[in-house]
Amino acid sequence: MVAQTNNSVNKSTDENTLKMSVRSVQKTYRLGRVRVPVLHGVDLDVKSGEWVTILGASGSGKSTLLHLMGGLDRPDKDSSNPASVKFEDRDLTKQSKRALDRYRADDIGFVFQFYHLLPELSVLQNVTVGSMIKHGRLGYGKHRAAAVERAESLLDRFGLSHRLKHRPAELSGGERQRVAIARALINEPSLLLADEPTGNLDLKTGESILEAMIEHRRSAGLTLVMVTHDERIAERADRVIRLVDGVVVEENGTIS
Amino acid sequence: MLAMVAVMLSVATILITWSVMGGFLNALIDSGRTLVGDVAIVWPNVGFAHYDDLIERLEEDPMIEAATPTIETFGLIKLPDDRIELISIKGISAASYSQVTGFADTMWWKAIDEPTPKDYQREDIRLDEHYQQIFQDMESNGISMTRPNPKTGVIEPAGVIGIEVTGLNQRQDWGGYYPMTPMRALPDGGAERVDVFMPREGTVGITILALDSEGHPIDPVTQTIPIANEFQSGLYEVDQGTIFVPLDILQRMLRLDAAQRVEIVKDDENPFAVEVDPVTGEIGPKMKEIIGIDPARVTTVLVSGVEGSELEPVRTRIREIYEEFALAHAGEVPSSFQMENQIRTWEDLNKTMISAVKKETGLVLFIFGIVSFTTVFLVLAIFWSMATEKTKDIGVLRALGATTPGIAWLWIRYGAAIGFVGSVIGTGVGYWIVSDINAIHDWMGRTFNFVIWDPKQYYFIEIPSDVDPMKAAIVFIVGVMTCVMGAAIPAIHSARMDPVKALRFE
Repeated sequence: MVAQTNNSVNKSTDENTLKMSVRSVQKTYRLGRVRVPVLHGVDLDVKSGEWVTILGASGSGKSTLLHLMGGLDRPDKDSSNPASVKFEDRDLTKQSKRALDRYRADDIGFVFQFYHLLPELSVLQNVTVGSMIKHGRLGYGKHRAAAVERAESLLDRFGLSHRLKHRPAELSGGERQRVAIARALINEPSLLLADEPTGNLDLKTGESILEAMIEHRRSAGLTLVMVTHDERIAERADRVIRLVDGVVVEENGTIS
Repeated sequence: MLAMVAVMLSVATILITWSVMGGFLNALIDSGRTLVGDVAIVWPNVGFAHYDDLIERLEEDPMIEAATPTIETFGLIKLPDDRIELISIKGISAASYSQVTGFADTMWWKAIDEPTPKDYQREDIRLDEHYQQIFQDMESNGISMTRPNPKTGVIEPAGVIGIEVTGLNQRQDWGGYYPMTPMRALPDGGAERVDVFMPREGTVGITILALDSEGHPIDPVTQTIPIANEFQSGLYEVDQGTIFVPLDILQRMLRLDAAQRVEIVKDDENPFAVEVDPVTGEIGPKMKEIIGIDPARVTTVLVSGVEGSELEPVRTRIREIYEEFALAHAGEVPSSFQMENQIRTWEDLNKTMISAVKKETGLVLFIFGIVSFTTVFLVLAIFWSMATEKTKDIGVLRALGATTPGIAWLWIRYGAAIGFVGSVIGTGVGYWIVSDINAIHDWMGRTFNFVIWDPKQYYFIEIPSDVDPMKAAIVFIVGVMTCVMGAAIPAIHSARMDPVKALRFE
């Protein structure tokens, strides 16, 4: 087992530019009576506007780390070495459930490998649903026009303006993922968390998806944390983190 | 969709059951009220005097519409085929009785003013154009309780008898009647035809026990009563055991009519004093002396309140009026204290029947309510399965920032929407079925030979088909609530779902 305390990765010199800071994060799941440790004290800093790729094999804890960064899960409690997951100056581990919901709605966007579009909704509705969640059912009325306009603009940018009223089942895999990315961006988040966004796509489609994300990241100054096991994608990131069995074993600090 | 169909069926079933049973109860109550009026002042058996004064006092009051004197007693009736039955005999004053009750509307043998196509379909004899004048005469005879003597043509006082009393009216499948010719059993084992149509030439003999001045039964009295018409009140018990006769006839038979009050005298000064019998004109020794007049008596005064009046205030007012009346005739009529519990509303008089039907309605509703409550579990099961199927979507929504209450509210709103749509359709379907229940029933009978409501057995000609909007509203709300309840548990389950587990759910 690799020493957990020495897994520090990004020693950022300018704290003000930090978008996210993960410290001493451990996570153990229970499978019945069996405890399954997934993360063993991970440290990670992500600068504002940076693209960090987390590489690792299946079961290495990449998605778990992403979920913790997204406030979907909480790290294990260890009083001797308390974990922290800081987004800007907020420690997510100390936030209430309600505040975490707010954080996910306002500050971050999630992109999943299997798109997870809502099958009953149209493409446009799938994108605007994020805005609806952010503003609430009643508040959405006031923001609806703006949300629809932004959704249409995003979908247009991703080449889906002719698919607005289609259902997800009528789209190709690449199109679905582009809808999912548009959904993640609808509330103009400052951090995008992508869990193997091209993992379910062929090479060419995956490339186009990647290009769309890169292009948007550049134009919007988005911070991007992407989980993948594709070395070719990792090469294009600002920085690559390699996770092996819940431990950061390698860091590539060079900007591609 | 399944949940919506379940809600729709439950709502429609409950609405139909409640409406039909409620309609049945209302029809029964209306029938029970038809011949009673609103409030009855009852002094049974011996009756009470000065009722004309009481009626006058009552009718002067603005709360009272009308009042009428009646006598109620029991006796024996000899029918045209010589059968003898026990019968309830009501002496009424036809004109005023019709003002207080729906008596005039209960005449069966009458021309139908506005027949419907259904009436023609039923081949109702009352629609035969050859008999229209006869039926019109019969109706007016019944209402006035008179009938021309078939031999002499002289108008005579007559009675009105329940349609089911004589057994001479054959109840048809559609619930109406057709006159029939019965056979009279003969001692030699044979039988002979009794060719009689009651409202035209039928008579009955009634026998009662006359009362002495103390109200004790004494000698039996028999009188032949021509029948002017037959009535159908809607209550089988009434229609198969009641005859209305003119009040004055019954008063005479019971000796409740006005009479001379006499005293046995012994004239010591003139032992040879004589008197003339006013009937025979014969002269005899003086045995009694007229000391006054005993006024006629009745056992009941029926009262109807003005249109739209509440029963209790009318009863209270009647008690007050009776109190004044009793004071004015102190010693001759029951005191207001004695009469306290004898002033009864029509509901009191029909209490047993009403409460029995109410209980039956409640029982049926309870059973159907329990059956329909299973809809909650059906919705729960369907929603649970949907929530399981949508686990990943719930995870996505949580990832997008949806709150726990937001997720729960999503399901509950969905349940409410299903409940709303299901209840709207269910209420509509229920409303339509109840409104057209007789047509639907007829169609089922014709097409599938499937008859549930047999007018022969249920006495009412048609299935009650009114939907109370209040009942419809209650059933609708309960339908929506049922769905919300069914959706609540899956909603809570979904809301509490760990988003990470939800996202990883396979």
